[in-house]
Order: sequence, then structure tokens, then C-alpha cells
Amino acid sequence: MKKELSILFESHADRLKEEWITEMRESGLLAKMSDTETEKRYTALYNAVVSTFSTGKFDDVERYAKEITEGVVLRDTSVERIIGGILKLRDIYERFIFSEYRDDEEMLYQLLASYEPVANNILTIVTMAFVEAREQVIREQQKAMMSLSTPVLQIRDEILVLPLIGTIDSERAEQILEELLKRIVELTASVVIIDLTGVPVIDSLVANHMIKTVQAAKMLGADTIITGISPVNAQTLAGLGVDLSMLITKNNLRAGLWHAEKMLGFKVIRETE
Amino acid sequence: MDIPILKIEDFLVVTIQSELSDDEIYALQEDILSRIKDVGATGLIIDITALDIVDSFMGRTLSNIAATAELLGAKSVVVGIRPAVAVTLVELGIRVKWNVNTALNLERGIKLLKRLIEAERRGGAS
Repeated sequence: MKKELSILFESHADRLKEEWITEMRESGLLAKMSDTETEKRYTALYNAVVSTFSTGKFDDVERYAKEITEGVVLRDTSVERIIGGILKLRDIYERFIFSEYRDDEEMLYQLLASYEPVANNILTIVTMAFVEAREQVIREQQKAMMSLSTPVLQIRDEILVLPLIGTIDSERAEQILEELLKRIVELTASVVIIDLTGVPVIDSLVANHMIKTVQAAKMLGADTIITGISPVNAQTLAGLGVDLSMLITKNNLRAGLWHAEKMLGFKVIRETE
Repeated sequence: MDIPILKIEDFLVVTIQSELSDDEIYALQEDILSRIKDVGATGLIIDITALDIVDSFMGRTLSNIAATAELLGAKSVVVGIRPAVAVTLVELGIRVKWNVNTALNLERGIKLLKRLIEAERRGGAS
């Protein structure tokens, strides 16, 4: 049945194409698109669809979906146009089957039964490709945000600064720990300053993660100084009963840096008055 | 398996190259302690760079060795703990009772030992 469909579509290729272009123009889905571009878009879709009917496999549709989604995601053309185009094509072909086999009810029924699942499947594949492509973008952005959120900076030989900004949840805390330990090894750091000025809320979870981080850093031979705890947070921490005696805490980053320099025997002096 | 215990100046250096069974760990502990006694070492460095996994037994033994070495007059430092190992040890909660000095690598370990010994010498003199 599928073979017959592909032969049927191919033998009336030009007529169907005209119909598609006309309808697409009318519904505004081809606005601001040159003739050659329209032609190209139709040919790509047409080839994918007809090959599906003649081979019974969806490989070409998948390839088409991949290409088109990449184009859409990169150039930001609308998804509506692509899906609209496929829906139009589906309708036109279906109407065409109706008009060809109006008098042969048996045949018409069989053709539609094999046509519809394929047509629907093509649409699903393309739609899923779009969803997948968008999700891919979201995942990449999340990853980028995560790495941006834990900058580990080296400001002197053996001194690292980790300025934390924003709320800290378990996942982020894990990531901070991992990144920090990696950098300590890479840069052979001896002192790490964790600045919490930008962390609005420090609860017991954050506090425990801090302790864990300090202990793990210590095992790699690095001492940690915590700076920038706000008065409110300091009060919360004191009230929580978390044992923070092992932490070196300083008022602000400046004091932390000063302390770190002293620990390592650095002396910063201004050369001129 | 015999693990070489190297002597450099007054320090002993032990490099653990592969995972050890509990028996081997015991044997190593005895070897190290008797060598400290024999040569009168003032420092001990245990390098575990090659270890991907340190379990609680190993962690505890390292701590025991350090404590016993201290009694024999030697400071000890464990060097080369990997990030993943550090996280595991912290999660095992071992650090609470773990009074082991640690350093990033052998070089830092030697520096730390010298500083510790120097600090003790000066502290004892005053």
C-alpha cells in the first residue's frame, strides 16, 4: 500500500507542490521567503516524505528533522512554520487520496489506513526533534551557568579565592567542593578563601557543606578561610549549634586575604608614598 | 608484598603503590614503626598518590601510625590524597578523629615536616 502511495504522490508531484505553496502563502507561513527558499524547503520535506512511503523507513524523516531543527534553533525561524508546513502537506495529500479514489471505497479505506499512521509519525518525529533540540540548548545553558557560578580564582601563588554568589543547594555545594578540590591540586594551593558576601542565606545545610569542604581541602594540604558572613547569618549559625570551631573566619575578603598572606609569609608593601 | 621504606636524611618515606589487604596494612604498620625506632627518624611521610580508594580501615590505620610515630618521636604527614579520596574520607566522618597532618604532594610534605619539627624544637627550647 505504501509503495502505491509513493507512486501516486510522485506521479502528481508538481500539482501537489503548487497546491502546497499556494496554501502556505495564503496562510502566511511563507512570509518573507524567496521563491528559491520556498522551493528548497518544499523539496527537502517532499523527499523525506516520499522516501518514507517508498521505503517504509523513517531514516530520511529523522535526517530531515535533524537538519531543520538545527536550522531553526540556530537561525531562530519559527517552529510554527515548519510544523504548519508539514500539517498542510499532510492535509493536501489526504485530500488528494480522497479525490483520486472517491469511487473505490475499499481501496480508499486501505490507502488511508496505511497513510495516516505514517503521516502522524512523521509529524511526531519532527516535533520531538524540536523538543529535543530545545532541551539540548537548556541543558547546555544550565551547564554554563553552573560553571560560571563557581569561579575559583588564583590571586597569589598558593592562594585561591572562591567568591560565592546566590543561594547554595546540595547540588551546587557538591559541585563547588569538586571544583575547588580539582583546582587545589592543579594550582598546588595552600590557602583557600571562600567569600560568602553574595550568599543571602546560610542555613545548617550550607554550614555543613562548608565544614565538609574545609575538611576535604585540608586533606589536600590547603587551609580554608571563610569571609563575608553577614551579621544575620552569623546569628543564625550561632543559633544552629553547628560546631564551627574548626573554621577560620574573617570579617571580609580583605581581612581574609591579609590573613592568608600572613600564613604564607607574604608581605605586600606600597613602593611609593 | 614488601613495601619499600626509604630513608632520606632523618625522614622516612613510604610510597603505597597499590591497594593493600588488611593483613598487608598491619604488616606495613609494624615495618614502619620498627624502622622509625631503628633509624631514629624525626619525620615520616606516607605517600598515597596511587590510591584511588581509601576505606575506613586504611584511614584509621594511617591515623594510628601517625599517633604511634608521634610517641616514638617522629612527626608524620600523609601526602597525595586525591580529591575523590578526600571527599570519601570526609563523608566517612573520619576527620573528626583524624589528627593526621596532610599535604598536597611529597615536596609540600617535606616542607611541612620541617616546619613542624622546627616549631617543636623552638617550643621546647623556650
